[in-house]
Amino acid sequence: MSETINDQSVQEGRVSRRGFIARVAGAGAVVASGAGLPEFALAQGAPKPPADPAGVIPNDQVMAGKDAALKIHSERPLTASATAEYLADDITPTNRVFVRNNLFTTQFDEATHMVEIKGLVDKQLKLNVADLRKNFQPVSTMAMIECAGAGRTGFNPVPRGTPWPPTGGMSCPKWNGVRLSDVLRTAGVKSGAVHVAFTGADFGALPTIPKVARSVPLWKAMEEHSMIVYGMNDGPLPVIHGAPIRVMIPGWAGSASVKWVASIEVLDAPLKGPYMDSSYRMPKHPVPPGSKMPADAASTEGWPIKSIITNPAPNATFKQGKPVLVAGHAWVAEADIDRVEVSFDEGRTWQNAQLNAKAAKYAWQTFSYAYNPRGPGYVTVLARATDSNGNMQPIVTPWNPLGYYWNGLHRVGFTVEA
Amino acid sequence: MRLRHWLAAGAAGSLLTISAATIAPLAAQEQVEPSKNLMPGKDVELTTARCVICHDATHITRSRLSRAEWEDNIQVMITRGMPIAPNEIPLVVEYLATYYNRDVAPPSAGAAPAAAAPSEDPVQKLLSTNACIACHAVDRKLIGPGFREIARRYQGQGDAPDQLVKKIREGGSGVWGATPMPPHRHLGDADLKVMVGWIMQQK
Repeated sequence: MSETINDQSVQEGRVSRRGFIARVAGAGAVVASGAGLPEFALAQGAPKPPADPAGVIPNDQVMAGKDAALKIHSERPLTASATAEYLADDITPTNRVFVRNNLFTTQFDEATHMVEIKGLVDKQLKLNVADLRKNFQPVSTMAMIECAGAGRTGFNPVPRGTPWPPTGGMSCPKWNGVRLSDVLRTAGVKSGAVHVAFTGADFGALPTIPKVARSVPLWKAMEEHSMIVYGMNDGPLPVIHGAPIRVMIPGWAGSASVKWVASIEVLDAPLKGPYMDSSYRMPKHPVPPGSKMPADAASTEGWPIKSIITNPAPNATFKQGKPVLVAGHAWVAEADIDRVEVSFDEGRTWQNAQLNAKAAKYAWQTFSYAYNPRGPGYVTVLARATDSNGNMQPIVTPWNPLGYYWNGLHRVGFTVEA
Repeated sequence: MRLRHWLAAGAAGSLLTISAATIAPLAAQEQVEPSKNLMPGKDVELTTARCVICHDATHITRSRLSRAEWEDNIQVMITRGMPIAPNEIPLVVEYLATYYNRDVAPPSAGAAPAAAAPSEDPVQKLLSTNACIACHAVDRKLIGPGFREIARRYQGQGDAPDQLVKKIREGGSGVWGATPMPPHRHLGDADLKVMVGWIMQQK
């Protein structure tokens, strides 16, 4: 059993300065800590990527609105995340919500940017933000958004795609907007409807690049926490997160939560297209590492059970004699958290952590445990969550060709000084 | 709730020192910062021209994939709008599977074929840096028409250079099909003149 924690009895710990990464103030450029390979190709006159077209917000402007804890993983398309030690908040602050574009960060006018509701509906609708605010009940919910590839570098070998750190690429902000189901009911969903497709208005570097488009089953679109969003954490929705309007499909692989949404189409079958049929797919059965995507595969849906340790920070140091606070979050898309256990002996024995109440159906849950050091030395902590269906986090997630759904155990090391 | 306050204070405090060190022995280690340019070798220019339009080169330089995965990946990229002619696919796969292969180390720098001399040709530089060659080849249609085809169509029209300058700057569609040519409004008059002059010579 865990002990009761009070402010005086636990230690925060100091964070090691080793591995310090500095960001050039305001410029958003990350100074590499490791030595990169020599830059051969430019010297040979190899082509450079074309400049950003008009209407695109440059990366440094996007990152100026983000906390220095966010590390850029790729510049085109822009992806960035903060790792577990910066994600202790119950509600992820807007400036720490991860960034994942497929195409450019595109700026649209709030008055003229419309979302069309079409397909198998009784009446088509065309709505801008003002229409949504005026005609539908405003709702807010805390909910997980997590890239399908979050934690990808946990796999061995590392599959292709954005190199999300083992604990980067997930956030739990509060979303402000309207229920997607309210909008679909107003349009009137016809019989025969099976899936609902979302298409973004953002664009890529070439005119031939297809739009970002994903579909979800009708039941998920009609679930009361699925939303059309125009605000984040009771403030404006930043452009990088899809302003003026985006979709939010809670707990599911983030690609379903299409940003800059321009079309919501009710369909009699799952959408066809690259974001359904070649990306965001998982083999139905495990495959040997390094395999191609097998034909027997399915589109990504809800995230399986997962947890991260937000405290202590990696390599923190503590003084002997006081308990050390171990804390973190656990979440799962379509179930509840049954328990979170922690181990201080590499998994030989496990103790139940204290689990706080869930703030919302699709929010993560915070866990905590007061650890009493037995003596000085280096300590590791593992966290392991189990959901209400009895699904427990694996030690290591089975490999899959696109590196999705990493939910292997998070392990953090810290030092107790005499 | 007290714990929540405590956690919030902890998070704010940790802002002062930023640690990038991650302990993940259960997981593969993160690689060092990847290069922003591809390794020199046969068809590096073609690979760069076809890939480093929609995404930066680090998506390749940090990857070590099997040949099967590279083949698979090119097919996925084609569905995502990659501009590539069928005969170029094996060349790009060969480059990637030679220099970014999980199972076979790349040829050492000394064994690599001599690097091409830096291109001083101003036209080639313009075509490269503005990504014209992502969509246009000299002798065949890619996404847009080949440069020779363009030269032939505009041959003998007195205002052809002005028309082409406008086309490049403003973009448009309809002349060669429905796929639009994006506008390139950042290009200066001098550069446009050089480009159009060169295109009109490709007969």
